[in-house]
Amino acid sequence: MGRVRILKVTGPVLIAVWTLVPLLWLVSLSLKGGDHINDGRFWPTAPTLRNYRTVFRTDLFTSALRNSIGISVIATVLSVVLATLAAYAIARLDFPGKKLILSVALGIAMFPTISLVGPLFDIWRSVGLYDTWPGLVIPYLSFTLPLSIWTLTAFFREIPWEMEQAAQVDGATPWQAFRKVIVPLAAPGVFTAAILTFFFAWNDFVFGISLTSTGRARTVPAALAFFTGASQFEQPTAAIAAAAVVVTIPVVAIVLVFQRRIVAGLTSGAVKG
Amino acid sequence: MSGLLVACGGGGARTATPVLGWYINPDNGGQAELAAACSAAAGGRYRITVSTLPNDASAQREQLVRRLAARDRSIAIMSLDPPFVAEFAEARFLRPFTADEAGGFTAGVLTGPVEGATWHGSLVAAPFYANSQLLWYRKSAAVRAGLDPARSPVTWDQIIAGAEQAGTTTEVQGNRYEGYMVLISALVASAGGAVLDRPEAGRDARPTLDSPAGHRAADVIARLAHSRAADPGLATADEEAARAAFQSPRGGFMTNWAYVYGAESEAVASGALDRAVLADIGWARWPRVDPDRPSRPPLGGIDIGVGAFSSHPDLAVDAVRCLTTADSQRRYMLKSKNPAARAAVYDDPEVRRVFPMADLIRESIGDAAPRAKTPYYTDVSTAVVRTFHPPASVRPNRTPAAADRLVTGVLHDKVLL
Amino acid sequence: MTAATAPAAAPPGPVGRVQRSNGRTRAERRLGWTLVAPALVAMVGVTAYPLARAVWLSLYSYRLTDPAGRHFVGLSNYGVVLTDRLWWSDVLTTVAITVVTVAVELVVGFAFASVMHHLVFGRRLVRTAILVPYGIITVVAAFAWRYAFALDTGFVNHVFGLGNFAWFGHRGSALFVISLAEIWKTTPFMSLLLLAGLAQVPRELLEAAEVDGATRTQRLFRVTLPNMRAAIMVALLFRTLDAYRIFDTVFVMTNGAAGTETVSFLAYRQTITRTALGLGSAVSVVLFVSVVLIAILFIKGFGVDLARARGER
Repeated sequence: MGRVRILKVTGPVLIAVWTLVPLLWLVSLSLKGGDHINDGRFWPTAPTLRNYRTVFRTDLFTSALRNSIGISVIATVLSVVLATLAAYAIARLDFPGKKLILSVALGIAMFPTISLVGPLFDIWRSVGLYDTWPGLVIPYLSFTLPLSIWTLTAFFREIPWEMEQAAQVDGATPWQAFRKVIVPLAAPGVFTAAILTFFFAWNDFVFGISLTSTGRARTVPAALAFFTGASQFEQPTAAIAAAAVVVTIPVVAIVLVFQRRIVAGLTSGAVKG
Repeated sequence: MSGLLVACGGGGARTATPVLGWYINPDNGGQAELAAACSAAAGGRYRITVSTLPNDASAQREQLVRRLAARDRSIAIMSLDPPFVAEFAEARFLRPFTADEAGGFTAGVLTGPVEGATWHGSLVAAPFYANSQLLWYRKSAAVRAGLDPARSPVTWDQIIAGAEQAGTTTEVQGNRYEGYMVLISALVASAGGAVLDRPEAGRDARPTLDSPAGHRAADVIARLAHSRAADPGLATADEEAARAAFQSPRGGFMTNWAYVYGAESEAVASGALDRAVLADIGWARWPRVDPDRPSRPPLGGIDIGVGAFSSHPDLAVDAVRCLTTADSQRRYMLKSKNPAARAAVYDDPEVRRVFPMADLIRESIGDAAPRAKTPYYTDVSTAVVRTFHPPASVRPNRTPAAADRLVTGVLHDKVLL
Repeated sequence: MTAATAPAAAPPGPVGRVQRSNGRTRAERRLGWTLVAPALVAMVGVTAYPLARAVWLSLYSYRLTDPAGRHFVGLSNYGVVLTDRLWWSDVLTTVAITVVTVAVELVVGFAFASVMHHLVFGRRLVRTAILVPYGIITVVAAFAWRYAFALDTGFVNHVFGLGNFAWFGHRGSALFVISLAEIWKTTPFMSLLLLAGLAQVPRELLEAAEVDGATRTQRLFRVTLPNMRAAIMVALLFRTLDAYRIFDTVFVMTNGAAGTETVSFLAYRQTITRTALGLGSAVSVVLFVSVVLIAILFIKGFGVDLARARGER
């Protein structure tokens, strides 16, 4: 049993070290002043917040932050609304084509997004969606729907449906039963789907770099990759590190508060027994 | 700062003043300053807002191409790297200048930049600043190497052997990017050859790296990459990595753009660099490949083009006129450390004080070799760089021929790139 | 030899389904389709039409910056792609990254899942620590690792006394760093899927095996793993397809240099960087087909339970 005890004590510590070291490194890098950035040390010798001031004064970053938040939130709301409707139908109603929807969702989840980037760019540029918010919201919507639909379908299956039937027996239509009884019960599931969807949109890079080009719609991951130094040839390392830390803060906050929901969401969709 | 206006993108049409969007390569605020000055001078006829493009030249081109392919009307004027001018002109992304307009943009301008901005006989972009690379060296290292580049021209063989002898490096740009193509092109030109025959023929241009000049160029790269003078990070070195290594104790020799001295001076002023290092820096013309053939240094710089889909083309031309005057170029040279395209600027006393090597820069730009002027430049450059990368893999008798085959295949859509 | 695989437990069916009249069935059907339609349109519209367009574009030699030079070439672009060494070398790179990262993730992910499964206290902390890499932006993670290994900013060479080793200058070491970043980022997802699978292994079976004197290793390979087969296969399928599409990390770390280019990166460069829409579309279509082939391999070859993957059970 000695091994088990060691596993129980050192395991969590090892996991925490493994996952947190790169984060600490990023924070440390972002605190290094211009002359110390190349000193090869893990910890900053003279921590400074200068890089944070720099990124918040950089238009490319502030506009990207606005775009990322706006686009991700809109895509999340739309995706969750559509997925809720679909998942309710799949979990609850009997109609032909249910399997088809789930198969389509599965196919889309496996789709290599890069295959679409070329044609989407070509279409977007001719219909005026290139470098606009809707130009990103639309693909995000399509590619987050599968995950939302699975998560929600799994959640909806756990809901005690007798209550809905009771409502229907009392004379409510299926729609009313859905709205008055199921929606409150399903809210936690919807919330989980929303978090996962938000993570996807927040994380996306492929569409972000291909379908945008300016502060009008460029999102944070894309902006980071095209960050420029203060002068022509300067390496923007410290500024990128600071910007990276800034955009990681919401992720850590969401994870800290909602870790139980996220775990439930990730494991319910794919491997529910 | 006018940079703050970027976020609005010119959407706010509250004022009657037409807004001209200027897409610029990143500098230290020099172009933004000029934009503000010209907006003020326009007296309400137009207002220029700047949007900054990515750091590296290929990414700048990529951004512009995609926006222009989407017929973006907000691109009134754009800062273009000269090798991309042909592609933009051929794709009709640029509004060509009339002969009248062109006269003003080319008067007193060094010939290299003018040729680089001309496509099928008409000027399609206005030379704004020009650039060339110099040989930068540490005087202490040169003494140990037994070389005096300021006195008599040196060859690549000499600075490689010299750096080895001095226990230092010879820094160049060897990353897999456009900057490496700059090196390759200049080596080939300095050996008396060219990357392409009839580059303006587009798809039907013939690559000519498999030639004595191409072999000589490959030989220099291979020799450097396998010598002790090569930086350990040669295969990923860009301009700034090279400069950082050059100013470190292992630095000896370096080919790099004209901004180096200004950048080092600023580093000294801000306390980041020891004054003794700056005093140790010397400069000379780009090294020769053959001892008895003058070198053809790389040509760089920025041209300003007028967007073909701009809502205010005439105002844009006016704005370009203001941005490229000798005085604008002088101010820009002092602020951003990038050399002017107009020859007279180099005679300015202030410029000569900040650039002790002003005459050398002017001469270098005058004798510089432009990179292949083809509408397929990006494909040609990417193909050549791909075959020549990493530098240590270059084989003088095989690599140039392989590059030629790849370029031909790429031009005819017969291979992937 | 007493340990045995649990009989596949019959999944609990939908609770209390009741018989309904014919009229209700029709209404239900209509409502079902009404509720599903918007999601279906959004999913199919954004994938099917562009994919069809990609197929059409792939029949041309067409560059965005040379519209006048566009001409029909039939299937020749596909011939170019499939006979090109660059395509196959990128396929090899991609497959190598996929196999290595997924294999390591499976092992490490299983270790993580075991730790979490047996955890009594600190559950919250470990869960949080594990979810951070999952939620972090891939590009951010890639930058963190790139700067850690870079010659100028990095601490790795310094800490481990490796001198001036250029990690991104050689294919092997560059792929190593890329894989490491990918593994760091995606192991949490794998471990959570496996954790769910672990929770499904019947406790009685493990106890019975222990009573019968089975060693720890025997219990792992004879009881635990066989009972987790479905969970493992689904996790492998998803992670494999995801790893095969790797793009962000390569873009940030090497931009495809030093032989690290992947198929997604190749497709991106043809269509977006070179704006060679004809040839690029052919690459995109071939890439799509290869993904379909991998999925088929998993489903038919390894018998991944699609109903499970679809979340039906």
